[in-house]
Amino acid sequence: MAKSGDGIRILQGLLVFGNVVIGMCGIALTAECIFFVSDPHGLYPLLEATENDDIYAAAWIGIFVGFALFALSILGIVGVIKSNRTLLLVYIILMLTTYAFEMASCITAATQRDFLTPNLFLKQMLERYNKSDTDNNNDKWMAEGVTKTWDELMLQKHCCGVRGPSDWQEYTSAFRSRHKDADFPWPHNCCVMDAQGSPVNLDGCKLGVPGYYNSNGCYDAISGPMNTQAWGVAWFGFAILCWTFCVLLGTMFYWSRIEY
Amino acid sequence: RPHSRPWHPGARTMFLLLLPLLAMAHGLDELPHKPKPSMASSTLGGLTTSSTFTLEQPRCIFTDLQDDVVIWLVVAVPEAVRNFNNSVRPGSPERQFQKFPTSALAYMTLNTTLLNYPCPKPPGEITVLRVGSETSCAEDNTRPTCNGPLPGPGPYQVKFLALMDSDPVAETAWSDPITLRTARQLSSIPATGSGRSAGMIALTSILSILFAVLLAVLVAMLVFCGSNACGGSGSFSKPEAVTVRRYNTHHVYDQPAARL
Repeated sequence: MAKSGDGIRILQGLLVFGNVVIGMCGIALTAECIFFVSDPHGLYPLLEATENDDIYAAAWIGIFVGFALFALSILGIVGVIKSNRTLLLVYIILMLTTYAFEMASCITAATQRDFLTPNLFLKQMLERYNKSDTDNNNDKWMAEGVTKTWDELMLQKHCCGVRGPSDWQEYTSAFRSRHKDADFPWPHNCCVMDAQGSPVNLDGCKLGVPGYYNSNGCYDAISGPMNTQAWGVAWFGFAILCWTFCVLLGTMFYWSRIEY
Repeated sequence: RPHSRPWHPGARTMFLLLLPLLAMAHGLDELPHKPKPSMASSTLGGLTTSSTFTLEQPRCIFTDLQDDVVIWLVVAVPEAVRNFNNSVRPGSPERQFQKFPTSALAYMTLNTTLLNYPCPKPPGEITVLRVGSETSCAEDNTRPTCNGPLPGPGPYQVKFLALMDSDPVAETAWSDPITLRTARQLSSIPATGSGRSAGMIALTSILSILFAVLLAVLVAMLVFCGSNACGGSGSFSKPEAVTVRRYNTHHVYDQPAARL
């Protein structure tokens, strides 16, 4: 019995180690998802206006899954050390439930990332930026969110439009129906601003003189943080789930070896 | 040897070029022709918009004129170029901006004395004229020489005309036709294609397979090993709780050494 006793001891040690790692990863997942949900780049109104903010739903699920993983890992450690069949069965069932939720979160985040293309943001910007004749309250709310977000984005990241200022020239837009093309070839926030927040040279900006207006597009500034969020939730979750798979298999094997 | 020599090819080409010029110069015989106006540098982002365009200033072109000559910009539709009459006064109904291009086929604007176009041009300075930048007087009939936004995408042809007390003294050739930008409808932006990336497909399939394996192993575990331990000699019992008490040889207590 000594040999199998050693083998069981090793398995126990491995399972405890596995659960410790799961617990720590759970905390990390919660922290990461809280960071994403707090929206440090202020891009949430753009997602809200697409009426499809599943990336945020995935992050919210991630927060609770992280906590659950941490709690369950403690339960798992206790169950393995005590070799209690009931505890371990409860642990396995609850872990599978958490596994299913985390799987949903990962797949949602990865799928949503594919949805966020430059054309999506271009269409949204042209339709909603500075829109004045809104149909209902919801429409008004979304238009205001988009306008405010784009104004801040263009000011802080020194960019204009999605691909460039020519977006405002190439397509009709709500902005164009409100402001004449001769006065505003592109919004004034595309101009290089001085410390007081007014354009350094408005005529130079309207002419498009390099140095007086922002000639690059904002797509990188939008997609960078969103990519980080989507990949962070999806692939970190995937890694945790792969590890959890191994630990669960080991736990089920361990459970089947315990005598009543 | 023939009497008449065949014409040199260059001479023949020159003669062919002179013929139409002689025909056209019929109405403009006394005015010296200058080079045609050119568009500004293409590094300007707002070179042409949907209602404005930008020309280079006519520097070092009207070199042999007095300083108090007034240089006007003539903007016309191509149909008016052939029979253009230089003697029509600027601001008359035939040349009124507000009636362009319906009843006035050309208008004159951006008048300034030759003093404002000094020669030579200082290096590094941007010397341009933005045609269409004045929106305030576009509907004002009291300002027939308004530099208002162009009403359509064109094409238009321009030239500079030098007037001394309303008499034409010099002019440039007509420019090439200038066509402005036309904005496309934003509904023409392609609906965002939901492209499935390879990463998303891999993630979804791997996670689904792992989850299915876990469920299968759970079911097998419960069915086969539900009521008793599996594996025979590999199984083990719960670890015993061992209590050892110190013997005090002077006092003999009836206490078991280990609980079975």
